[in-house]
Amino acid sequence: MRRLPPRAVLGPALLAALSATCGLARAQDVLLGARRIVVAADSVLDDGRVLIRQGKVAYVGSDIPAEARARARRVDYGDATVVPGFVLAAATLGQERDLAERALPFTPDLRAAEAFDPWHEDLLALPQYGVTSLALAPAPGNVAGGLAALVKTGRDRGTVGADLFVSLSLVPAARDQERPPTSLMGAVELLRSACDAARTGAATGPDAAVLRQAMQGTRSVFVYADNFAELNAALDLARDFGLRLVLVGAADAGKVLPRLAQQQVGVVLDSLGPEARLEQLQLPTRLAEAGVAFCFAGRPAQLRLSAALAVHHGLDRKTALQALTRVPAALLDQAATIGSLRQGCAADFVVFAGDPLDLGSAWVATWVDGELVHGTSPAASPGPQPAAEPAADAGVR
Amino acid sequence: MRTPFLHLLPIVCLLGALVSGSPNAQEPTPAPAPDAAPPAPATAPDAAPEPEAAPAPRPNRRPRRPAMVIEAGTLHPVAGPAIADGVVVIRGERIVAIGKRGEVEVPPNAVVRSFPTGHVYPGLVDAATDAFTDASVRSDGGLDAADALADVLQRRHDREDELARVGITTAYVTAASPSLLGGQGAIVRPTKDGFELWQGHERAAVQLRLTGGPNPGHPLQRQQQYDAANALFEGLDEYRKARTDHAEALTKYQKEFDEYLTWHRNKNKKDGDKPADKDAKAEAQPAAPATEPPQPAGPPEGGRRRRGGGPPRDGAAEPAAGEVEAALAALFGAAPQDQPKQDPPAGKPAPAPAGQGPEGQGDAAKKPADDKKDAGPKRPTYPKAPPPNPQKDVLLRVIDGELPLRVEAHRADELRAALQLQDERRIPVMVLERAYAAGRVADRLAERGIAAVLTDVLPASLPKAYEDFDATTLPAHLQRAGVAFAIASGSGRRAGVLPLMAATAIGGGLAEEAALRAITLTPAEILGVAADTGSLAVGKYGDVLVCDRPLFQSDSRVLLVLGKGRAEFEAN
Repeated sequence: MRRLPPRAVLGPALLAALSATCGLARAQDVLLGARRIVVAADSVLDDGRVLIRQGKVAYVGSDIPAEARARARRVDYGDATVVPGFVLAAATLGQERDLAERALPFTPDLRAAEAFDPWHEDLLALPQYGVTSLALAPAPGNVAGGLAALVKTGRDRGTVGADLFVSLSLVPAARDQERPPTSLMGAVELLRSACDAARTGAATGPDAAVLRQAMQGTRSVFVYADNFAELNAALDLARDFGLRLVLVGAADAGKVLPRLAQQQVGVVLDSLGPEARLEQLQLPTRLAEAGVAFCFAGRPAQLRLSAALAVHHGLDRKTALQALTRVPAALLDQAATIGSLRQGCAADFVVFAGDPLDLGSAWVATWVDGELVHGTSPAASPGPQPAAEPAADAGVR
Repeated sequence: MRTPFLHLLPIVCLLGALVSGSPNAQEPTPAPAPDAAPPAPATAPDAAPEPEAAPAPRPNRRPRRPAMVIEAGTLHPVAGPAIADGVVVIRGERIVAIGKRGEVEVPPNAVVRSFPTGHVYPGLVDAATDAFTDASVRSDGGLDAADALADVLQRRHDREDELARVGITTAYVTAASPSLLGGQGAIVRPTKDGFELWQGHERAAVQLRLTGGPNPGHPLQRQQQYDAANALFEGLDEYRKARTDHAEALTKYQKEFDEYLTWHRNKNKKDGDKPADKDAKAEAQPAAPATEPPQPAGPPEGGRRRRGGGPPRDGAAEPAAGEVEAALAALFGAAPQDQPKQDPPAGKPAPAPAGQGPEGQGDAAKKPADDKKDAGPKRPTYPKAPPPNPQKDVLLRVIDGELPLRVEAHRADELRAALQLQDERRIPVMVLERAYAAGRVADRLAERGIAAVLTDVLPASLPKAYEDFDATTLPAHLQRAGVAFAIASGSGRRAGVLPLMAATAIGGGLAEEAALRAITLTPAEILGVAADTGSLAVGKYGDVLVCDRPLFQSDSRVLLVLGKGRAEFEAN
């Protein structure tokens, strides 16, 4: 048998490998098209295109190079509307027991990421509700619960990312236990003394380090607080120690609106239900009018309903959509990567048959990091595309 | 001697003045009823002018309400396709014309309300709500079929139910009672101040609960529940027969009694114009028959709920024995044979009336009384009525198809039990409520013409035990199967989201026209009031909802709500 010289074998092999690599690169680029693409709540592409490369938004609208446009795999959702994936600013996904160290009231250095279950069924159900990212937060079972973790949903499993805010709690769940503190006064005093000790250096260790980060402003502080007294205590704490405060729950936020606006405090509202009291249903509108940044959380399945109900009770659509996307991302300090479809952000988006804030618009699909994780994909046409492709999208509104 | 009369003179004058002025004082001019606008001819928007010969003013009559014209960018009549640039003309309570602007004649002096970009719909019909009920009624486990919710509805209670301001002009009120039978629901017309009962529909359906709710239950429990429901209909035939026999006996009694009266009347004439002793006649008070005093029909005074189902089913007004006896006494005065008695024991002489004893009678009167009695017909016995059972009366109306039976059944086995009950008891009109699993028996529902009232048509609105049910896609499923269904709020608190529920059904695959029908015309049909409301059509009530944009958009705002042509809500 005659043996081929090494060069004769190596050449075709290299060519084949190069060709395969190029093909792979082409397959990774996706040209997303839809009648309406909401890049951010204040930036909408009519009959727009977005180029996705390696799970991120590479180009938007008219910025897409003709060559890349021609080579990309086209995914066109026709008359549908594409919006950024929804972000849950605080969620426990039914893991309350694993997300609170109930025996100890003060554990600010514990990490929710340690309790993350990538295959948790509640996590894998999130894409059908449009949720692509969330903060897995310590449950409100102790006064200082720990550090939240950024989690992304996926087709088969979720992924956990960076540590986020430190979670504190002043609601009854944190103090109604058989260990101190047993009162709101005790809980506030516990936090004050801990912050004092961390600030003066009297306390050391990981818990004090977390508090120092919070007081230096490098880590935001989410506080579960509902009624007027709890909200006031949290606001006092933030004022006295320079905390970047976000209130979670805040059912009585309407009673402290001026302070919220003055201290530039964010609010994570619980989900709204159809039987909620009128003042609850109108609270988002009042917050928006006061200039308070807020977002919706609570039951993931009711996230969109909450926004629709808020719109039904006077909130404008743009603010409502921001409350599902950009605002929670900003409250988590993650606005550069999630919450919008701007260049460089993760290609996390949701497709609806119409406006997502109209319940008559059917949910169609959810994509995370440029991959379809739930729903249907239109028949994709492989590139290259003919030269007749329009050179530019309609302008960004 | 004249002094006392002089003293009395002013009093007599005063009395005279009072008597002469009393007619006006006792008969004040009746105030016009607030809703007493004269009905306008439905087919004549321009009413015929008053005859010239009769120009006399009628000060007590309320001035006629001018016709109202609603102009809108888009009209959604429901019964037909949408009309761009549409016009609705309402005169009095009813719609007299509808169509495209320019093609409909607008009456002169009409009040024109124009909404160039607005959308006009018929008033919404909520096929199930607990509005206007308080917590005690909603949690009352002791309701039965005879309890009428119409008697306990309240305009103001533990919460504010403002259905009119969200566009609901007709609603069926029921209490989500935990009891097997939940009483009779009522159809109301929400107003700006509360509601008014829809006359003739105060008792619109009977509620039956065939579910244990979301709590897990053993199949045997469900079987027991079915058995209990089935047992409610036991003995209805016997009860009906007893009622029928009694009615026949009453007819016979009346006939015999008439003969009895006639005989004595004739006899009196033959006996000559014997002057009756007026004093005796006045003292002859009619007494109720000793054997069976008839029960007065009507509600107990001060009762919390009215039991029974209104007038007797057979429509025969039972003669009050007291009235008969009064007539008898008035006719015969104190004649011995006219004593108010019934069936004296055989051989025992009737007791003589006062003043006519043997010692006061002449020779002719000394004849034995039995001779006279035997000469005429025997006085009939008042028939004994069967013991009244208001619940059975109501259930008989259900069996006869006069009242729908609304069955709350959630799971598939509960729905099958409802269908079995219908089979077994031959219930003509059945409506299913909260039938979350209706999709699994949709074919059978369509085959039997059973309608469904769907509540909780919102994302994630069902309890965790029901997470296998998809309330958002169920309407589309039923639509494909040909089942008539309505979307209802189910609760007064949810009244404002009724359009959002229909929108959710659209998101679940239902056509927009079908969704609109599910909150207007179909519920009106289920409630039996489609001739008067549920769509914008000539002859129907002027129930109109005006929104600033399409109803199913989340930010749609209600601008105007008319009920029977009156403004029940108007946005500032």
